[in-house]
Amino acid sequence: MNNKFKKLALAATTAVLALGAASMAQADTPTWCGPKQASLALLDGYGGNSWRQVTTASGKQTASLCPSITKYEYADGNGDTQKSISDIKGLAAKGIDALVVFGDAGPAVLPAITSVFKAGKTIVPYRVDVGGKEGENYTKFIGSSFVNDGETWGKWIKGVLPKGGNVLFLSGPAGNSQGLDELKGLKNILGAEYKFLNAEPFDVTNWDPALTQKVLTAEIAKNDKIDVIVSDFGPSLVGALPLFNKSGRSIPALATSDGNSLGCFWTDNQNDQNKDFKLFTVATGNDNVRLAVEWAVAKVTGGKDPEENIFKAPAFEDSVSGKPNAVQCKKDLPGAIYLSSELPAADQAKAVGK
Amino acid sequence: MNQAATSTPDVFAQRSFFATPLARSFVTVVVCTLALLVACLIFAPSAVSWGAFSGSLPFAAIIAIVGLGQLLVVQQGGFDLSLPGAVSLAVVTATHEAHQNNGLLFYAVFLSIGFALAAGIANGILIAYFRLNAIIATIGMNALLYAGVFAVCGGTPSITTTLLADIAGGETWRIPNAVLFALAALVLVSFILKKTVVGRRFEAVGANPFAAQATGLRVQTHQLMAYVFAQLLYCMAGILIAGITREPTAFQGDSLLLPSVAVVVLGGTSLLGGRGFPISTVIAAFFLNQLSQFALAIGVPYSAQTIIQALALGFGISVYSIKWTVNLTKKNQTNGGLHE
Repeated sequence: MNNKFKKLALAATTAVLALGAASMAQADTPTWCGPKQASLALLDGYGGNSWRQVTTASGKQTASLCPSITKYEYADGNGDTQKSISDIKGLAAKGIDALVVFGDAGPAVLPAITSVFKAGKTIVPYRVDVGGKEGENYTKFIGSSFVNDGETWGKWIKGVLPKGGNVLFLSGPAGNSQGLDELKGLKNILGAEYKFLNAEPFDVTNWDPALTQKVLTAEIAKNDKIDVIVSDFGPSLVGALPLFNKSGRSIPALATSDGNSLGCFWTDNQNDQNKDFKLFTVATGNDNVRLAVEWAVAKVTGGKDPEENIFKAPAFEDSVSGKPNAVQCKKDLPGAIYLSSELPAADQAKAVGK
Repeated sequence: MNQAATSTPDVFAQRSFFATPLARSFVTVVVCTLALLVACLIFAPSAVSWGAFSGSLPFAAIIAIVGLGQLLVVQQGGFDLSLPGAVSLAVVTATHEAHQNNGLLFYAVFLSIGFALAAGIANGILIAYFRLNAIIATIGMNALLYAGVFAVCGGTPSITTTLLADIAGGETWRIPNAVLFALAALVLVSFILKKTVVGRRFEAVGANPFAAQATGLRVQTHQLMAYVFAQLLYCMAGILIAGITREPTAFQGDSLLLPSVAVVVLGGTSLLGGRGFPISTVIAAFFLNQLSQFALAIGVPYSAQTIIQALALGFGISVYSIKWTVNLTKKNQTNGGLHE
């Protein structure tokens, strides 16, 4: 009898809990999530670094917030344009309703995107400009404002070096549009009193730590005075920055994007030798994918369109003002995670694997 | 017996025929390097400053080490295109398996050496015993090794342990440790190749496997060992890269394939196999690295940097080709013609 009663109580509690959870889930359903059921795929042109893995995990997590998304798929183009194109067409042919595409190859993937769009699918390219027009080639393009990043850095540089100074700007592959836009932003803020030491428009590093180190070696040897380094991939500098100390100089101020390894590097190098080492970061922009997924889901499920049309990376760390955050370092977690990401650090650690 | 006796003069003739122009090629590499250093002094003094050297020499050391590995394979008339995968696998194994824990570093290093041995033996068996074309076999191996890279790390970079960063990125008596590792590799390879029986046999097998077979040498074993030792050298380079860059990508080996072949050629080793020139190869690695520092220091656009390097390489190689033909004709005239 007693036992029976216990079982009954347990069943009742479970039922109440389940109901509660269901209603909570209902309450938490974001506005961009409509009632129509659909499947969604995230396509990467190149998925082979931790930034992409955190981004992919972020995209997946965003999609999981909407119960109308019944199926979620992911494809990695492995840096191969042909594969990226066949991924886009293949997933659409498989019956996926909405596609969110990181079009690394740029305009080369536009024909595939257009054909999928013409076939009546929802397709949202993001971050990398693929050309084309909204409503003609794709449903919506969610860019990232790299000009905005450049301006944010510029303002900080103006704060720490009000009288002007020598700026060294490093970006990725030659001619990449991200670097060019960032330079535009920097130039919008910084006047002629700020001298750019790098080759026009930026020193090419391919975002490769080894090449970054070589480039920085040459620049350090060439320039006696570097006041601030601007780089759009902060963590790739970690191996190269000690070169300053090797030549008996302080690491200069650094305006860049965040990364756990960089934050820890800054924390470990706060000593007399590095008096000038100030650090300012903007969010690396893993959350760009969230906005793209929200738009795709809104369009395909009949939800409400998100308010933002372009992703603007917020400032993240500032070692001078401590606002919006002081420099962050989580020593117990992998260096290759991004504390600026909305995805909790522990989930990121899981996403970047071992 | 009779046959062996008649073939002896031929072998000697071939040796002396090889010796003269190749010694010249050693001189060429040294002269080119000195000329480059002078050019640096005049046009880009910062590229020959101590700071520039201490920052860039570790990368010269890496190129030297992979160059030595490629040299061994080229000496056997092969090409090792599995180098990018091998280096990348060593990089990710050394970083990921150590989990930023110094205590696990040695395990990670031994594991990468194990991978290198396995890849080298597999390459060697495919090429020496199954007579597969070296280029095709090693391309396949490269894909396999990259599969290993993804299995180990899923393509993401990780941060190396502080111990490895100190060992590979540190300096001893103001000389970057990576340079000391490269010098050790050079001494080892030179000594074995030039001063041991095994090494002499190795070169003989490379120069003419058929003759070597006829004299009773174990041709296949020597060829196999070329791939094994090459892999061990790539592995060493990979581990050093992991320490030097601290947060290496999973594709760090990709940019090393071309330089590895370039330094072997610039060092004067014939792509047809035979005699190898480890010292020239290492000097060529320094030359190539200094060339890129020169291009960076004079501050030309990236496109021009690439062109300068390509031109210098083309120039270096064509210098050899011209001398080769000159010597060939001279020798042909004096010796009464080897190729008749």
